[in-house]
Amino acid sequence: MRTVILKRLGGALIQVIAITVFAWLLFYVISKFTGANPAQRIAGKSATAQEIAEVARIYGLNKPYWQQYLIFMDHLIHGNFGFSYVQMRPVSQILWPATRATASLVLGAAVIWLCIAAPIGAYGGMHPRSAGDVTGRAIAILGMSIPVFWLAPMISYFFGYEPTQGKILGLPILHQGTTIFPIVGYVDFGQNPVQWAYHLILPWITLAIGFAAVYIRFIRTLTAEQLAEDYTRTAKAKGASTARVLLRHVGRNIAPTVTVLLGADVATALTGVFFVETVFAIPGLGYTGLSAIENLDYPVITGVIILCALIAVLLNTIVDLLHAALDPRLRRITGQ
Amino acid sequence: MTSSMQSIDLDQGSPQGSGQPAGLRATALRRLRRDPVAIFAFSLLVLLVLAALFGGPLAAHLTGHGPNQQFPNALASDSQPLGVMQRTYYPNGTVHNPHGSLFILGADELGRDVLVRVLYGARISLLVATSATAIAVVIGITLGLLAGYLGGWVDAVVNRMTETAMAFPNLLLAVGLAVVVGPGLLNVVIIIALFTWYYPARIVRGTTIATKQMTYVAAARTVGARPRRILLVHLLPQVWGPLLVYATSIIANNIIFEAGLSYLGVGVPPPTASWGQMLSDAVTSGMYQTDITLALAPGLALVLTMLAFNLLGDSLRDALTPGGR
Repeated sequence: MRTVILKRLGGALIQVIAITVFAWLLFYVISKFTGANPAQRIAGKSATAQEIAEVARIYGLNKPYWQQYLIFMDHLIHGNFGFSYVQMRPVSQILWPATRATASLVLGAAVIWLCIAAPIGAYGGMHPRSAGDVTGRAIAILGMSIPVFWLAPMISYFFGYEPTQGKILGLPILHQGTTIFPIVGYVDFGQNPVQWAYHLILPWITLAIGFAAVYIRFIRTLTAEQLAEDYTRTAKAKGASTARVLLRHVGRNIAPTVTVLLGADVATALTGVFFVETVFAIPGLGYTGLSAIENLDYPVITGVIILCALIAVLLNTIVDLLHAALDPRLRRITGQ
Repeated sequence: MTSSMQSIDLDQGSPQGSGQPAGLRATALRRLRRDPVAIFAFSLLVLLVLAALFGGPLAAHLTGHGPNQQFPNALASDSQPLGVMQRTYYPNGTVHNPHGSLFILGADELGRDVLVRVLYGARISLLVATSATAIAVVIGITLGLLAGYLGGWVDAVVNRMTETAMAFPNLLLAVGLAVVVGPGLLNVVIIIALFTWYYPARIVRGTTIATKQMTYVAAARTVGARPRRILLVHLLPQVWGPLLVYATSIIANNIIFEAGLSYLGVGVPPPTASWGQMLSDAVTSGMYQTDITLALAPGLALVLTMLAFNLLGDSLRDALTPGGR
């Protein structure tokens, strides 16, 4: 077990180094060859010569590359993501509240996509090729084919904007000015939990649909696999109810796998938030990152990308360790 | 967008087609011909390719509207663009000209023909996605074959590389790269390939490891075949089946990848028509709220394309699985 943990942590360390090297190369080295002076880019479009010189000094941009990387890492380890000269604030101050909003969005969406996918997937696994299974799979493949950046404006339009115009799905059946769901805005959980959930319902659903589609397929396959095993047949033979077989036997065995997938997908969902947050105007990491791209605010772009990548690595590491703890078979396999 | 990539992950533990009996290709083709879903998906794709090749110029010729041509008369006096099946305005911008030019799917906020642009957008989508996939597959086959056949430190290095690459939230880093290197068609293709090569690499590696233990490879080695011959003549042909299935999923993902990059403003630069760019124009300007066609047209084109690739990928997978589904 200890070797598994050490191996996994070593892998995570390699990934962190790879990510930071990549980001550093991207924003401090490659950008030099594409014509821009990194100090100028960090200082922003309207920087004075003095500010540029100051940036070059802080980041050691006239030193050898390896020293620049160490300075960059030193800043990162101390939680210093740089300074946004566009917003005149430290990047970490911008990222922290954004991370809260993004976490609300992604975690809520994860709950929703599991709630949608578990029953449909389990039903499909239990009754393969039945009408319900075929419908479920058709829904899944359709859901997989809808890009989130199209779904977001569509949901915002049909469930947020149209009702205020007196219509639902194009049919004029409401009074003009009726608001069912808010299109924009975000209320912090600490401020008002009810408003928080109310403002996040549409974004949650938007983000959840694509993942729900993928999870219907996962859970269907996993359930079918477990139901084909001898132990579930034994359980059924001794008279266990379907619910008991599903929850106690199948559920328990597929839970570790689903956990690992969930860890990876919550990380993947960080990409989806870029689109969902901009459409619904949620001040999260994606929204921050995108407006930084528009303003060419390099320290913020770098910060968002590194932070998201680090969160992804962290989540993947945690779920892998959790998996090893939950599933004794894995300990032996990877621990060789 | 990466969500369907995850399904690749899950299935990757069972490389299909490894140890396949002779004649699997014929069996697969026969199964595909009997599968209505496969036929539907394939016809949809043929239509799409035709639309990409000839649809754009044809529509441009018939309507007389170039893909990037702006028509001031297609905007009303309050700069609201033309709706579906409307003719251009008189210069005053309030009354439609009955002899004006017809905009079948309406015009966008710059007075360009939406239908012509959607058709031209198919070119960009398919061009970028297929060429990026081709590059990714070539990189993937090379690394996967070498890692699977040679094993040892080569395998370890390739494995670490794929694991690290897979842990990256790839769209984010691609956005970072695109911001730095700047927009451009070739840049987008290279960036997408750079962030997708590891899926084919893992699949090829898995298949190669399974295949190289088979007797016929040992036999080839006994009669003195060199590693290069074993790799190219004996191992390479075995990877095509599983690779084909995944290539369809990868193309589908790359279409979304390109559209996503263009949507974020770091993809194919305007005014070139691409679906992601069209969507982004409609959404960020808020114009889609008054004219939903602007978001519906490129969006439905994307969804149909994705659907065709995803359905075909599923059918291929079923057809190539020995012993049926």
